[in-house]
Amino acid sequence: MTLFGLIGFTTPWLLLGLLALPILWIILRAVPPAPIRRMFPGVVLLLGLKDEEQVTDRTPWWLLLLRMLAVAAVIIGLAGPVLNPDNDGEVAGDAPLLVVMDASWASAADWRGRMIALDGLLAEAGRDTRPVALMRLTDPTPVQFLSADVLRTRLSGIQPEPWQPDAESTERAIGFLPETRFDTYWMSDALDREGRTPLLAALEAKGRVTVFEAPRTLYALEPAQVSEGNLLITARRLREGGATELTLAGHGKDPAGNPAVLTRNTLSFEAGMLETTTEIALPAELRARIERFEIEGTRSAGAVTLPDDSLRRREVALIAGSTDREGLELLSPLHYLQKALVPTADLLDGALLDILPANPDVIILADVATLSAAEEDAVLEWLDKGGMLLRFAGPRLAASDISRDREDPLMPVRLRAGGRTVGGAMSWGEPKSLAPFPAESPFFGLAVPSDVTVNSQVMAQPDPTLAARVAAQLSDGTPLVTRKAVGQGQIVLFHVTANAEWSTLPLSGLFVQMLERLAVSSAAAQPEIEDMEGTVWQPIRVLDAFGRPREAGTLPGVDGPALIEAPLGPDLRPGVYQGEDRSLARNVVTADTELTPMVWPERIPVQGITRPQEKPLAGWLLAGAIALLLADVIASLMLSGRLRGAVSAGVVLAALILAPQDGQAQTAEERAAIAATSEVVLAYVITGDDTVDDLSLAGLRGLSETMYFRTSVEPNTPVGVNLETDELAFYPMIYWPITASQPTPSREAYAKLNTYLRTGGMIVFDTRDADIAGFGAATPEGRKLQQLAAPLDIPPLEPVPEDHVLTRTFYLLQDFPGRYVGREVWVEAAPPDAELIEGMPFRDLNDNVTPVVIGGNDWASAWAMDDRGNPLVPLGSGFTGERQREIAYRFGVNLVMHVLTGNYKSDQVHVPALLDRLGQ
Amino acid sequence: MTATVAHLRTRAQEEAGRFPALLARAEHLAGTVLLGEHGRRRSGLGDDFWQYRPLQAGDSYRSIDWRRSARGDEQFVREREWQIAQSVQIWVDPGASMRFSSHKNLPTKADRARLVALAASILLIRGGERVGLTGWRLPPRRGDLQTLRLAEMFAEDGEDDYAAPEARGMLPNAKALFVSDFLSDVEPVEAALTKAADRGVRGVLLQVLDPSEEAFPFDGRTIFESVNKTMRHETLKAGDLRETYLQRLAERKARLDAICRVTGWQHFTHHTDQTAQSALLWVYRALDGSQG
Repeated sequence: MTLFGLIGFTTPWLLLGLLALPILWIILRAVPPAPIRRMFPGVVLLLGLKDEEQVTDRTPWWLLLLRMLAVAAVIIGLAGPVLNPDNDGEVAGDAPLLVVMDASWASAADWRGRMIALDGLLAEAGRDTRPVALMRLTDPTPVQFLSADVLRTRLSGIQPEPWQPDAESTERAIGFLPETRFDTYWMSDALDREGRTPLLAALEAKGRVTVFEAPRTLYALEPAQVSEGNLLITARRLREGGATELTLAGHGKDPAGNPAVLTRNTLSFEAGMLETTTEIALPAELRARIERFEIEGTRSAGAVTLPDDSLRRREVALIAGSTDREGLELLSPLHYLQKALVPTADLLDGALLDILPANPDVIILADVATLSAAEEDAVLEWLDKGGMLLRFAGPRLAASDISRDREDPLMPVRLRAGGRTVGGAMSWGEPKSLAPFPAESPFFGLAVPSDVTVNSQVMAQPDPTLAARVAAQLSDGTPLVTRKAVGQGQIVLFHVTANAEWSTLPLSGLFVQMLERLAVSSAAAQPEIEDMEGTVWQPIRVLDAFGRPREAGTLPGVDGPALIEAPLGPDLRPGVYQGEDRSLARNVVTADTELTPMVWPERIPVQGITRPQEKPLAGWLLAGAIALLLADVIASLMLSGRLRGAVSAGVVLAALILAPQDGQAQTAEERAAIAATSEVVLAYVITGDDTVDDLSLAGLRGLSETMYFRTSVEPNTPVGVNLETDELAFYPMIYWPITASQPTPSREAYAKLNTYLRTGGMIVFDTRDADIAGFGAATPEGRKLQQLAAPLDIPPLEPVPEDHVLTRTFYLLQDFPGRYVGREVWVEAAPPDAELIEGMPFRDLNDNVTPVVIGGNDWASAWAMDDRGNPLVPLGSGFTGERQREIAYRFGVNLVMHVLTGNYKSDQVHVPALLDRLGQ
Repeated sequence: MTATVAHLRTRAQEEAGRFPALLARAEHLAGTVLLGEHGRRRSGLGDDFWQYRPLQAGDSYRSIDWRRSARGDEQFVREREWQIAQSVQIWVDPGASMRFSSHKNLPTKADRARLVALAASILLIRGGERVGLTGWRLPPRRGDLQTLRLAEMFAEDGEDDYAAPEARGMLPNAKALFVSDFLSDVEPVEAALTKAADRGVRGVLLQVLDPSEEAFPFDGRTIFESVNKTMRHETLKAGDLRETYLQRLAERKARLDAICRVTGWQHFTHHTDQTAQSALLWVYRALDGSQG
């Protein structure tokens, strides 16, 4: 490769072609553009004319220049120019090359870049036929020099490890170095650590050393900590820099079991700061689901931290036997428990069967004597899976017969009847104090304060198993706390109350400590080495160097002390380890991990990963040549006068492309449909009589206004429907005033009406003749109604019964006046088998909306309002009239509510029965 | 052919339908005594009633209007208005140079020329004039059939690139309409007009030009050819010829104007990108004499 400053050429000899350019210039210059033949009748006028300028048959100079540039670009492009050609003089040499890689988690972040650099290096070495060997310091193997090409094929198998080389592995690496001389290329992860200096000295003794180091900074996450209920996560970076914002993502499984990002937070490094801390407030439910925190966009195990049990807040369900003592907080059986647990646990509240599916860690039953069979089974099942049931005694428990004759499955011991009271006003003796805790007790080691006394307690029935189940006892040897294991869980009984009635235990700090020991309130600290002796921890999930979680599979268990102390390595991978009753996480970066940038001695050349990339320019040059030639085409056309058509065609084409495409215009019909269906719209039938139609519109407008003000139904402006042409399905209710003169709808309209009625629509027929029509008196409107309604699919009718749902859909009504008060209103008849059930206020009537309401009270007139809300039609006189109008509005509201909610109000009658069936 | 003729006639009638009937001014009618609808405001031979006058000596009995005379004792003679009709003779350039248009959206000059000429013919015939072609092929006649004959004659294409005006067979004191691009030699035109003027024929020259002939929007190396490719001119830089060409065109127009002035004719230039109506309107007015 030949170099000219920043640009190199792969085939520089092609550049000689540039010498041909001047010849081309001369040739091109001599060739005039080809003539166009044009038909032109005016040619007679041209005959005999001479061209004034004789030199124009030569190509103009600028066009020549354009063509020269194009040809030059082609020649240069074919010569293969490369910007920033890869030309590493430093590594070049003849000696074998040893590539030393830290291959730690810290190099994982830019592993791709490293591999590309290494690939380039190997290619270079391949060209120079240098043997190359590879050594990963995290997993050193004896050095074996191979052909670079062979090594290149194995590159994809070279992965970093999620730990970092320690002094011991570096020592081993030095031992593996060959005797012969070689040059070294050290791909460092930029972290300073012990063992670097001896290795560097050993390598320098053999040949030249070149260091490759990414100048990028490195981010690391410390394990999360809990502070006042919130999570604190500290992030660190290797090098100082400007203000940076990173995203911290908490990954876990969502309730459906799918991996998801459960929380995202911002980590902002201030300029010049090396670490930052973010506080994350998360609901316990989410926090328990989080499996790992990671810095988004950073692929490194250091940027991932795994939480373990220490983050979890236990979920404790509190259930008290007596909840009827409202207001007496200090006497509440749960008060002291709540006080003790709130800081460290999440409390659940609710019915036992509702809580169990949430799988709480602990259920506390304070003075709860009996559970229903279903509850007992559910609790036992939950206990089998590792739950802990904590029970407190109390007056109810003492008074009950539970666990009296035989041991209750949910009690650790049998109880004697009655319990005992000591030291009270009516009893002998002193209040009893606690005995020191026995060695096998979970409370062993807790100091017993002398001021804890017990006045009353329930007594355990002496039993062969009793001694083994006692966890704490009084100074006279009576059990105070007993427990028994059930499946994987256990039941613990405090023989005293959870409040201060029977003892002062809940008032003391010992109470909280005891709860902690029972792991009810678990702010589990990092266990001590001594506690870990002899335990084996099984890895569940481990991290690879890129921070990706892997199932642990068949990885062997780890000794407890090693888990705490040993450095990470092939035998102790970062991950989550499960012990007997808790899990522990080993993270790559902890608060103790030191992140210091490695400072290399001056003599060592250090390369960066971000050196300008090799960039072939041939493509750009050739593309430029094509662009120039295109320009030449246009220029030539322009010169020869042929461009006119081409340009106009181009402009027209561009205009066509750019012309805005008109969307399809909505038809008026569609607009009306959209308007009618986007909100509730009441409708009336257009009768053809203008007075009646106007009144119908005003009436429905008044009703709509009333609905708007009084209910959550907010109807839009009512519309008139033409039965022949309009779609009816959009309207929940159609008001149909009857005039004697209105036309009878066509057969198609009747079909439409019947469909409307069958699919839940309601038509209100109003003959508006209640003032003159009485029983047996037929009016023209009445006869017209009979004629109109005959083809309609109307079920049997009856006057509105007292218990019809229409009387109570919104207001309680018994009469339905409009402008007139009088005639009965007819609705769909109740089914013949509807009977009034004892204790029920009304019958179980039709399930549907009544398809028709027929009356003659001229409701529209009563509802009618002008634009300002004033009534249009006078009604009765004085207050009576106003009252009548009010009732008319109420009837209208009930009507609309009925058509919108159906028999919802009727269903209320079933609520007691439904509740009873549910077993509440 | 029939379809083309029918089409041409339909369109011409459409154009003609937008004008009131054309009454060409009658002038020097002495030699032409054929009846027309140009009332002379004096009694004479004609169709329209002019006046009744008492029978005078010398009137033949046949001339007595018996219906009027029966009302009284005197005999009346019914006099008619003296009416004359005028002959209009048309020449439309059949040369190949007319069959040219510079753009696909523009009609050819021949198309426009024929349209305007036929429309004018229809107007004239409707106005009672007699219309024919110059030369001997179609003498001036009246009636719808003549319109059809004219249309057929107009549809004939000539062989040569440029055609000279046909000035033979001109009726004395008739009117004439010459439609052409008048790009060819101007001498025959001058000769024809002089000859016409000699016979007392007045007329109009309608020069139909394509917009490109008026603007010469050409550049670059070009070979210009006539429609029949009998003439050609090559230039290396067409743009440089523009001024000379335009100058020559202006000279040609000026020459035509000069000839017209001498002979009492009128000259008008019409471009095919203008509406045909503008040309027809001008022809109508020119033949009507209101501009003359």
